[in-house]
Amino acid sequence: MQYEILARPASSVVKVSMNQGEHLTCEVGAMVAMSTRMTVETTTQKKGASGGGIMKGLKRLFAGESLFINHFTAQSDGQYIILGPTMMGDVVHHRLDNATLIVQGGSWLASDPDIEIDASFQGLGKAFFSGEGAFWVKCSGSGDLFMNSFGAIYPVEVDGDYIVDTGHIVAFEDTLNFNVQKAGASWIGSFLGGEGLVCRFQGKGIVYCQSHNPSSFGSSLGPSLKPRQS
Amino acid sequence: MEVITRDRPAFANVQVKMQAGDKIIAESDAMASMSTSIVMNTRWNGGFVGAVLRKLFGGETLFVNEFVASEDSELIITQPFPGDIECMDLNGTSLFLQPGAYLASEPGVKMGVSWAGFASWIGGEGLFRLKVSGTGKVWFGAYGGIFVKEITGPYVVDTGHLVAYEPTIQMKVGMAGGLFSSFFSKEGLVSRVSGPGRIYLQSRSIDGLATWTNRHLWR
Repeated sequence: MQYEILARPASSVVKVSMNQGEHLTCEVGAMVAMSTRMTVETTTQKKGASGGGIMKGLKRLFAGESLFINHFTAQSDGQYIILGPTMMGDVVHHRLDNATLIVQGGSWLASDPDIEIDASFQGLGKAFFSGEGAFWVKCSGSGDLFMNSFGAIYPVEVDGDYIVDTGHIVAFEDTLNFNVQKAGASWIGSFLGGEGLVCRFQGKGIVYCQSHNPSSFGSSLGPSLKPRQS
Repeated sequence: MEVITRDRPAFANVQVKMQAGDKIIAESDAMASMSTSIVMNTRWNGGFVGAVLRKLFGGETLFVNEFVASEDSELIITQPFPGDIECMDLNGTSLFLQPGAYLASEPGVKMGVSWAGFASWIGGEGLFRLKVSGTGKVWFGAYGGIFVKEITGPYVVDTGHLVAYEPTIQMKVGMAGGLFSSFFSKEGLVSRVSGPGRIYLQSRSIDGLATWTNRHLWR
């Protein structure tokens, strides 16, 4: 399996080339185009797994992903698929080597079928205060993984601690812990200053951040939009 | 302090590499991520009275955040919409910014509100405008790409596309053509500017995006 990320960074797509018998698990609706000798199978669980599929699918729903996932299989050599996220933004590749990456709901695009995809509960407190969802997509195992973002993606290699504003997290390695805390020196200042709460990562590992915040974009455009007509 | 504007022009964001004692001021909610060795303090956007004036008339936020590094650190600053970011080095000079364009500045830069005139108000840009002056760098952003235009004589700009301009620029609001074409060409009112001086234009406008989105909503 080989990949190439095209049209970076404004409207990135990933082109994955596959040989006979190779598989790729993708977010539903992400397929932009593909060659003809590819088959698709839609399930609620990891390819080849048995039992507990519906529950995993439902948990993924909470994580902001879809109930279903698509498995693409190449029926002959030299096949390819082009995957694109919904929003304008970048696509990034991460290689998992018997490790775990926690991906923010909505940022998971595709992964090797050997990678276990499960919604992971990050705690109600963190969910409420971080402005992210209560569930994140936990990807563990070995293989290639693709994620998308709103804006450009920049990886930060944390060794010690690092602060990321809520709304800018794409994914992080599970060797990192995070806490939600105030952004500034004082509580009042943190809220008046518009930063509010931030996530403080501790440990050693990579955190992928996105350059733009979907909620900030929404609140700058929202007031000019017309209300829904009933 | 070393500053790099990266991911231009689609998703420009500012990477600030700071050393102990370095200080930078940024717009409310502009911080994307930072080292823990940076302390963030929130203060009135140029004193209480100034902040209220700027909020009411300049379309800016009441508060700004001041970031101070205690050792080698990194700070990433961004804007709410996708687009480019420009930097201008003020050297006792000043610059007028349209509402929402201000992103960050060095401590030597002062922010104030100045009278923009009725022409600006009719053009939908407000009676007052944000003026940055002093010494140091100021960063401002746009929705879309930013064009810099050095003008000597008269020039015509659509009001929604003007991001910033130097104080030597005179501005008048006028119709794009005759009464009929101004209305039906959807160009409506335009700014007739005259130099000499520099103007910054954005290749898209948030109002344009809102109008376009509204046409496609809830049909």
